[in-house]
Amino acid sequence: MISVKELIKESRFSGNYFVPDTYIQGDLESGLIENRDGGRLLALPESFIQAIYEGLTEEVGNASEAVLYKCGAWWGKTFYRRFAEEVSQHLGRPLAEIDMIEFLQSFQQCWKTHGWGNIELDFDFYQNGFIVAKIYNSAFARTSPTLDKPKCFVEAGLLSSFFGGLTGQKLHCIQTTCESLGADCNHFVLGLPERVKRAEAWLQEKHDHATIMERLSHGQADRYVKP
Amino acid sequence: MDTALQSLLYAADDHYLSDADLDRFHQDIQSLAERIETYETLRDRELAILQPTADYLSEEFPTADPKLLERSVIHWINILRYSAMAMLLNDQAFLSQRILEWMPDLVQAYQLQDIEKTLYRFLQMQLKNSLSPEQLNLLKPYLEEAHATLLSVTPALQPAA
Repeated sequence: MISVKELIKESRFSGNYFVPDTYIQGDLESGLIENRDGGRLLALPESFIQAIYEGLTEEVGNASEAVLYKCGAWWGKTFYRRFAEEVSQHLGRPLAEIDMIEFLQSFQQCWKTHGWGNIELDFDFYQNGFIVAKIYNSAFARTSPTLDKPKCFVEAGLLSSFFGGLTGQKLHCIQTTCESLGADCNHFVLGLPERVKRAEAWLQEKHDHATIMERLSHGQADRYVKP
Repeated sequence: MDTALQSLLYAADDHYLSDADLDRFHQDIQSLAERIETYETLRDRELAILQPTADYLSEEFPTADPKLLERSVIHWINILRYSAMAMLLNDQAFLSQRILEWMPDLVQAYQLQDIEKTLYRFLQMQLKNSLSPEQLNLLKPYLEEAHATLLSVTPALQPAA
């Protein structure tokens, strides 16, 4: 016997917490944009992101890639903490008790509402120890200087520490395709550092995403990324 | 916000509203009383509508996992509540953005289409008992959109053959 009264009381399901017209709010008097939880949001102009790329390249050369990755990793760590707090508060359960599908929905909507593009997660290589993320309309790809390799280091860093936080393992992330190079989306591969880093050489040899995934998944699948 | 009123508000930025615009404004205000009444009925009769629906569902799927049935009922508790608010605001996007862009993956992942199709049928019957035909007409576009979005699509995740 289903008790609707109990289900209504428990309110275990709520709608889209990250719906833009509610999630993003403005305080006109103080000139702030805030999320519905009171956290401050900033709207960055594209030219500012462009300036970060150019300024860093001018000042530190190739090290700018590592700097951007680190910045992304720092961002991802705090983003994971805030995201976990907001989602578990909204759904009334700790993140560990939230279904994977609800987690993914929240993650995708959160990403979209912040204006970072659209993100999809692909678990086809999960049994081999890898998660693939696809990002469409990335702000970082659009504003990056056009070079001969993927340039979304900030997002790669962000994804590595976000999913590192989620899985409780140290993860690394490499980008295998980039919108700045004409690809339809940005592919990112996440996994344990010693396994993912093998792909860096294949990237330099200009292998495509499918080939890299095939080669990666032919490695030993003895260590998995825990859900 | 009421989308019809909102578009009139934007239109009035640089000129006075025309007679036709004012007619729309008037119609919208007139229907508001009816929408509020319908909203109140749905709020006050939520249990009376949904408990028999849930009971029918349990009878129809006696061997189904009770957790899945509960999940389906929770989905439609929410759809009905958000539809009521969308109807009150006269704002289709309210329902779409909060629920309908959000739920299809949940319905598909748990393979709830069959259960929810039956639930929808029972819910229609209960709504007919609780709402007047005029009130039902106000709510209908929102429920139909929910049905079309959630239950008229081929599931992306098929069970293993």
